[in-house]
Amino acid sequence: MDQTSTLEKVLRRVAISLVILFFMFPIFWIVLMSFQTNETILRVPPSVIFEPTLSNYVALVTGKLETQAGTLEINFMSNLWNSLFLSAGSVAVGLILGIPAAYAFGRIKFRGSEDIAFTLLSFRFAPPLLVLLPLTIYFQKIGLADTYFGLIWVYQLIVLPLILWIVRGYFEDIPADIEYAYRIAGHSWFSTFRTVALPLAMPGIAAAGLLAFIFAWNNFIFALVLASADKQPVTVGALAFVTASGIQYGQVAAGIVLSILPTLALALYAQRYLVEGLSLGAVKG
Amino acid sequence: MYDKEKQLIDAYMRGTVSRRSMIKGLGAMGMTAATASVLVNAAATRALAQSGFDWQKHSGTTVKLLLNKHPYTDAMIANLDNFKALTGMDVVYDVFPEDVYFDKVTAALSSGSSEYDAFMTGAYMTWTYGPAGWIDDLNEYIFDDAKTNPDYNWGDMLEGVRKSCAWNGQPGGELGSDDAKQWCIPWGYEQNNLTYNGAMLANAGVAVPTNIDELVEAAAAAQAGNEGIYGIGVRGSRSWATIHPGFLSGYSNFDQKDLNVSDDGKLSAAMNTEVSKEFHRKWVKMIQDSGAPDWSTHTWYQVGTDVGAGKSAMIYDADILGYFMNGGGNAMAGELAYAPFAANPAASAPTPNIWIWSLSMSTFSRQKDATWYFLQWASGPEHGLFGASQMDFVNPVRSSVWEDAGFRKRLSDAYPGYVEMHDVSAPGASIKFTAQPLFFDLTTEWAATLQKMVANQVPVDEGLDELAESVDAQLKDAGLG
Repeated sequence: MDQTSTLEKVLRRVAISLVILFFMFPIFWIVLMSFQTNETILRVPPSVIFEPTLSNYVALVTGKLETQAGTLEINFMSNLWNSLFLSAGSVAVGLILGIPAAYAFGRIKFRGSEDIAFTLLSFRFAPPLLVLLPLTIYFQKIGLADTYFGLIWVYQLIVLPLILWIVRGYFEDIPADIEYAYRIAGHSWFSTFRTVALPLAMPGIAAAGLLAFIFAWNNFIFALVLASADKQPVTVGALAFVTASGIQYGQVAAGIVLSILPTLALALYAQRYLVEGLSLGAVKG
Repeated sequence: MYDKEKQLIDAYMRGTVSRRSMIKGLGAMGMTAATASVLVNAAATRALAQSGFDWQKHSGTTVKLLLNKHPYTDAMIANLDNFKALTGMDVVYDVFPEDVYFDKVTAALSSGSSEYDAFMTGAYMTWTYGPAGWIDDLNEYIFDDAKTNPDYNWGDMLEGVRKSCAWNGQPGGELGSDDAKQWCIPWGYEQNNLTYNGAMLANAGVAVPTNIDELVEAAAAAQAGNEGIYGIGVRGSRSWATIHPGFLSGYSNFDQKDLNVSDDGKLSAAMNTEVSKEFHRKWVKMIQDSGAPDWSTHTWYQVGTDVGAGKSAMIYDADILGYFMNGGGNAMAGELAYAPFAANPAASAPTPNIWIWSLSMSTFSRQKDATWYFLQWASGPEHGLFGASQMDFVNPVRSSVWEDAGFRKRLSDAYPGYVEMHDVSAPGASIKFTAQPLFFDLTTEWAATLQKMVANQVPVDEGLDELAESVDAQLKDAGLG
């Protein structure tokens, strides 16, 4: 029976609304900015009343940026595509390599397993620039500099340890007895992995994949150092609106909104999947 | 091109028709001003080809550039087809935003990459790149008649700017000395002077300040006389870039230096003299009384944006920052004016410190002669005049461009006082820092000390003495002091 009084319900909703407002306000303000010109954004005092314009989005989509210095070419949509391709590609490769490895580290005890796992994790500790300069030299020698393949390879420094360590924990949490029971029924090791372990660990895989995608999406130093301007992600491309002749705040805001959308869509999708995966879990605590 | 248009442009190139008559004539033939200017430059390029210099020597070669996203870059790209037609060469380029540009340059050079043949740089940066062996001494090309076209006219470059790009690599060595290496070619440059909002000063009933005392008073009066604004915009972030614009320009006008250089070449701090302390006191008071409330975060962008949006009455910063803010979508477009500024009442003229966007050649380039063809064209008088008069390639680094009547008129019409400001300041304009490898570290520490003074965390005298002590220690540690 619900003992909550009406007053308590109202107060709770007000409190939740305030918290949501606090966290969502910057996003809300950025969305508003994306529909304004620089002049209205910079007016004193700032106001939420303005004549909305789509010019910032039009500039990003058409690749023509009007500034004090005239019309400039911008490649934001190409940057957006690069981010999508690099992040999705590196997460896909990371999942293909990381899930079997995580299963091995979680299930099979072999000499040096912890050391190897920790070594992979330690890739996350290294300052990127320390790794990148020697890598630049090697990449130039073996022809991988300024290629998507080379970048996706380097992105494994970000995504692989993340996927491996998160998914390993999920595999370890699945009672081994379920898998043994399936094996006794005459199924192979690979079949057990595919039919039993993988579905049970799917929420963890989804979470790891999502997190790895976000980390890859937010990275900018790898492509900056290793690739030409035409392969730069959105994190580098967005800086093009900060020019010597002024900051194009409207376009920066529109760029942020556009660059949030893919990760937001993925997060919403994965959230549903996560809940579904958890509710279908075969193991009760 | 149609014959009539071509004949008219060629007549202009021969000097038999004035520029105004030519533009008028082309307009009558239905040609827009933008198309006309590109065609005029094409004619100037054809004239270049007639000098007897073999511009086609590297035909078929491709050079790759690393460029910063900047109006200078846009001007070059707009005119690039003329270079390609002149030389038969191809030019490809990577353009990166300024925020990450120097990281990209440093990564490319320190890894010995041969990907880029030439790149944009600031003169200060060559104090690192040159001694590291990452860039070439361009004197080897400039003074080689077989490699440089006879119309290049190196002597046409403004002397202070040209010398500021040359250093002998000795810590404390004089810029532009006889034994200096030309690490970069000046491309476009910025002096530091006053950009002011005339209406705001008029509201407050103050005249344009002409020295540091007047500046402190005028900034306070402008702030008091206009609602919701602050008096003066200057940079304040914890960065070397806080010291180099208005601050160092005013400071050096009192004959003050950052470092002393002894006869045996040893360096020592020079910023805790009595004159320096007095200047610092005034600067700090100016910021405390009438600077931006969030001054300690202000960089180029905030200083410019605020004066363009009408949030500040003046800036003491790069003249081209004021130039950019006087146009486009800024609320104060067309409202800004310019004035030379000599902080020292006893000084005869301003002595602005300068920032120079320049071009350097990578040591790792595999086609240096071809790259030099591009560099001499891009820094030549024809492209300089095209960029300055048709695009925003301002400030030009060549005297001949500054003498061009059309360019001067264009500037004077839209940017009141700009030409006069430049004429008065240019003779004293040069880099005022001492060239040495710890430049960025020491200057950033200077900015940090300035922040503490403005925040009243340390008195000016004490702060400068502590700074000098720290600078001396670092110079000694590095074997420079």
